[in-house]
Amino acid sequence: MLRRAHVLFILVCAAPLGGALLGCAFAFAQFTAHEQSAAERNLAIVVNLSNPVNGLTTADLRRVFLGERGHWPNGRRITLVMLEPGWPERDAVLSSIYHMDETEFSNHFLHGLFTGEVFVSPKTLSTPEGVRKFIFNVPGAIGYLRASDVDKTVKVIRIDERLPGEKGYKLHVPPRENR
Amino acid sequence: MKPVLQTLGIAMRNRWTIETPALLLLAMLVAAPALLGQEPAASRASDSQTIQLLLERVAELEAKVKKMDQLEARVKQLEAEKQPPVSTPSAPAPAQTTAASEKEMEPQEEPPVPERMDVSKTLLRIRGFGDINLHGDSQKGDTTSFTLGQLNLFVTSDISERFKFLSEIIFEGGPDNIYGVTTGQNNTFSVDVERYLIEYSQSDYFKLAAGRWHTAIGYYNTAYHHSTWFQTAADRPFLFAFEDRGGILPIHSVGVSASGLIPSGRLGLHYVAEVGNGRASRTPLTEEPVQNVIDDQNHKAYNLALFARPEAVQGLQVGFSAYRDLLAPVGMPRVDETILAAHAVFVRPSFEWLNEALVVHHAPLGLPRAFNTPGFYSQVSKKFGSYRPYFRYQYVNASNTEPIFPDIKLRQGPSVGVRFDASEWVALKLQYDYTVLRQQPAVSALAMQIGFTF
Repeated sequence: MLRRAHVLFILVCAAPLGGALLGCAFAFAQFTAHEQSAAERNLAIVVNLSNPVNGLTTADLRRVFLGERGHWPNGRRITLVMLEPGWPERDAVLSSIYHMDETEFSNHFLHGLFTGEVFVSPKTLSTPEGVRKFIFNVPGAIGYLRASDVDKTVKVIRIDERLPGEKGYKLHVPPRENR
Repeated sequence: MKPVLQTLGIAMRNRWTIETPALLLLAMLVAAPALLGQEPAASRASDSQTIQLLLERVAELEAKVKKMDQLEARVKQLEAEKQPPVSTPSAPAPAQTTAASEKEMEPQEEPPVPERMDVSKTLLRIRGFGDINLHGDSQKGDTTSFTLGQLNLFVTSDISERFKFLSEIIFEGGPDNIYGVTTGQNNTFSVDVERYLIEYSQSDYFKLAAGRWHTAIGYYNTAYHHSTWFQTAADRPFLFAFEDRGGILPIHSVGVSASGLIPSGRLGLHYVAEVGNGRASRTPLTEEPVQNVIDDQNHKAYNLALFARPEAVQGLQVGFSAYRDLLAPVGMPRVDETILAAHAVFVRPSFEWLNEALVVHHAPLGLPRAFNTPGFYSQVSKKFGSYRPYFRYQYVNASNTEPIFPDIKLRQGPSVGVRFDASEWVALKLQYDYTVLRQQPAVSALAMQIGFTF
């Protein structure tokens, strides 16, 4: 009897505390989910860890992606990495950086290589994991990943002095479930 | 323990992101009374036995997970080998990286070594361009003919991080026409190496190339080279016709060329500086007009081009170039040659407007008279879906007594046409030209062309 009362007493005392903790946990979970969702929607521009560049303007980023810039300030040749057609990340880059569709993109690089203005064509990889590994291995590489796909093997650079997730960051990609 | 937790964490992350903290708290609350009721004097031996069992279990699970990872990698490898690469526009393509490239892509602890030439495989990349034509005109003696255009093998190779090789190997039929002198058979094919360059890229501000190139006079010559597929119209403007097709400019040269950016901020200034053999100048010409192997004199030709691509107007390029050479025609005094060219072009994927003007100045040394040959063209086109109608007007006016190209005289007139992109890599063109000539009847011409890249 005493034991049951003891348990009941503990439960009565713990209930408000538990409720409060549950509320906090729920809020925390919501916050975490929101953060993850935001990371899903932001497109990070990533470079090799050894690259001294920490940020680019939108205009410079476009020049790099168009192949109009072939070298980093440290002299390394820029190697652009693209995901294969069909990835939402690629679609986002084509629309927000290139302002081109797939055909125009192909023509641009074919023409650039033909005239000699583009030194090397972009490297196309099939998965974000492949992009990450390639950038990790190639000192002059630059590419793009969902912010949620970024890990410590690559460096995220600032675009117009903003990192993914910061207010005013311009590069976004539809969430995965919407593709 | 850590790999197991990581594996579990990865597997459950998506489903349990929101619920996990709440459930953990609930479990703690439910377990609290039970914990309070526990005897502190529980046997330590029993605990250590339990821990030992758990550790063994963890080790067993880790081994299983490792085995599963290996199996998963093997399955992926087999799938990649069996399935041909497929990419759909609506969904991401499945992982298609081969086992070899996966290995290549694995993060390495060692810093990557510089790129090296693998002698067991070719570094050549070949892209092809070609065109086939049907052409008829009103000029006396001409016949309506199907014509094989140039077959262009564009060959490149990344030799190293800073060196690259580039060439255009052209197979073309028909006779040569150099300053009005026609040589060769009507229907035989010949091979020309139209570009042949090794390029060194030090930085964006300095690139050096050696070999045979397209001279940076104006815009058209270095924008379209030997591919009709790239250009909107069926043919090049007369000003930029090739030397062996009756053109007046030194389209090709052999030597060295430097190019790059000029630090200029948003103005986007570029330079090109070239030193080469220049063109052969012994008239009448019966052989190759480009001095590929031996220059007919020690004097070299120079060309300097500057152009801007301002950041504020994407697609706009304005520039000028100055070319100098000394020609040595047989039986004539040497001729000082200067070619000044200016261009303003606006090129976007759906709209283009090309404008170029130039003057070729020939001054025979020791003679009081100099000859100026002015010329220009303007071409505008707009894309409507797969169709791109275009209009071009061109003009060139050489003196009847011009010492280097006496056959050119006056040529001017409009061209209208339409380009239809039948596929991403195939274009059909229909073009009508009306050309007014000096002291000759005007010529009407109709041409159909299929241009392609492969």
